[in-house]
Amino acid sequence: MADAVFLALTVITIGSAIAALEMRSLIYGSIALMGTLGGVAGFFFLLDAPFVALFQIAVYVGSIAVLILFTVMLVKRELIFKKIEDKRRKFAGIGLMLVFMVALGAVFLDSGIKTITTDEPAPDFRDIGIDFVTYYWPALILMGLILAGSVTGSLVLARREDVENDQRAN
Amino acid sequence: MSVIAPKFKLSEFIKSLLDNIFWIILLLVLIGVPAVFIILFVIPMPVIDGELLTPFLALTWLADPTRILPVVKAFMGTDIFRVMAFPGFGFAALLAAGTIFVERKMLAKLQLRVGPFYCGKFEGILQLMGDGLKLISKEIIIPAKADKPIFWAAPVLFVAAAAAFVAFIPVAPGWVVADVDLGLLGVFAVIGFFPIITILSAWSANSKFPFIGGIRALFQMVSFEIPLILSLLGVVMLTGSLNLSEIAASQSVFPWIVFLPVGAIVFFITMLAELERIPFDLPEAESEIVAGWLTELSGMMYGLVQLGTYLKLYAFAGLFVVLFLGGWNGPMIVPPFPAELLTTGITIGPITAGPFPGLPLFTQEMLNGTLMFVLKTAGVIFFILLPRGVFPRIRVDMLLNLGWSKLIGLAFVNIFIALGLLYAGVLGPGGLQ
Repeated sequence: MADAVFLALTVITIGSAIAALEMRSLIYGSIALMGTLGGVAGFFFLLDAPFVALFQIAVYVGSIAVLILFTVMLVKRELIFKKIEDKRRKFAGIGLMLVFMVALGAVFLDSGIKTITTDEPAPDFRDIGIDFVTYYWPALILMGLILAGSVTGSLVLARREDVENDQRAN
Repeated sequence: MSVIAPKFKLSEFIKSLLDNIFWIILLLVLIGVPAVFIILFVIPMPVIDGELLTPFLALTWLADPTRILPVVKAFMGTDIFRVMAFPGFGFAALLAAGTIFVERKMLAKLQLRVGPFYCGKFEGILQLMGDGLKLISKEIIIPAKADKPIFWAAPVLFVAAAAAFVAFIPVAPGWVVADVDLGLLGVFAVIGFFPIITILSAWSANSKFPFIGGIRALFQMVSFEIPLILSLLGVVMLTGSLNLSEIAASQSVFPWIVFLPVGAIVFFITMLAELERIPFDLPEAESEIVAGWLTELSGMMYGLVQLGTYLKLYAFAGLFVVLFLGGWNGPMIVPPFPAELLTTGITIGPITAGPFPGLPLFTQEMLNGTLMFVLKTAGVIFFILLPRGVFPRIRVDMLLNLGWSKLIGLAFVNIFIALGLLYAGVLGPGGLQ
């Protein structure tokens, strides 16, 4: 059962990733990207991590994909993309991907992942939370600072000085 | 006199209905019954209790409550019943339909109008049925340059997302469609789908008004999701659980609105914005952009979106009840089941009813919990409907300012109140609750 689900999720994830790259319509490409992110959420469900899976759906499918859709809808694609595409580039890309995947696969297989027992109970998210505030507290504070910094930075970037009356052209 | 059907007569309509019934019965007798008997002739029937199971015997058993009640009970324990009927879609759709009628009638009374009046003999009680018939019988028009697959899929997806939201709401102890450990996170994940569906539907119509409405809806929903999630963290901290049933059960003494009124207010305002209701109905602003992102939807597609909207309204009201008002907890006002109905039966005058050994289909706790939940939900829905009769629509910059600066700040205040209550020992181990 788990194997069949894993295969189906793999097909969905990789298939929609290829579709996201290859579709001519940018909107359909973003929808396919949503499928990819949803497939990754399915993998997290399969790995007994529903907490991560639901956040994957809420954040990536719910927010990131919406941002991408929104950007795509508001921008005329002829203005920002110049089509550079020929056979050689395509095959070079596919070859690069294959090399990358083989390298990653070798690293995974070498890491002893095959000897892990899979019948252990899933870790409770409360334990993860307790670990975060006790053993891993420096990492938590670092993450908090990075997030706060990025939020402040985005606010500074998005801030717009309203045009004052004396600055207006006569 | 309507122009479309100028020669409409009620008597003709009834005559056509009777005609149809006549033909159905005739065809059933001439073709259906012989077909059943031919099939019965071929299939070997089982022997139960020493008797051959004939159709007549099966019908006799169906009329016998001691035999049919266990079957009904077993059916009510199945997942199909939960999804389709009681805590799931049917129950929610019933409440949603009631909401639509009450909204129209109540708004009319608030604004000194009459409201639905002619459909049905009493106060337009059949208006909803008439609207439904009208929507079903209308032609579905698709704009010429619309993106057809997305345009068709969007209303269905909208109802599906709303139904998935409904599935998380616990109605009575143990009566919930999806009793998942991370129910509140599931709710957040489902809420995240609504902006996507809205903007896709708006874009695919290839028309200006829907697109403006869709972009407004996107702004509004995405920016109000943040205070929505933050305002619920206080409840999660006090309960120590993300399971909605556990959160409801934890409020047996005090509902959390007693301790977290700020969070409840923030959640209520974000709820109004997520539901696109007045004063936050910019996506549908009918006086500016026709009907917003619903402009190009016609016929039953529009009906589906309306159904989804009101299912979502019920689900949000139910979520408010579960998180802040104590869910199914409340005084026990449903009387206990009369025990003599199980053993001797009840005698009223010359008639003796019973005994029905399989009877109490629902326990007293379940009936009382459902009653309490429905009463509280109806109250919350009333307060959701009320601003529509009173407030004007606010501008989009005021809306975003409210969401991003004021509500997020108040949500953080709420989190600190919850933390303070926990660390001061008022709540939690050794505290009040």
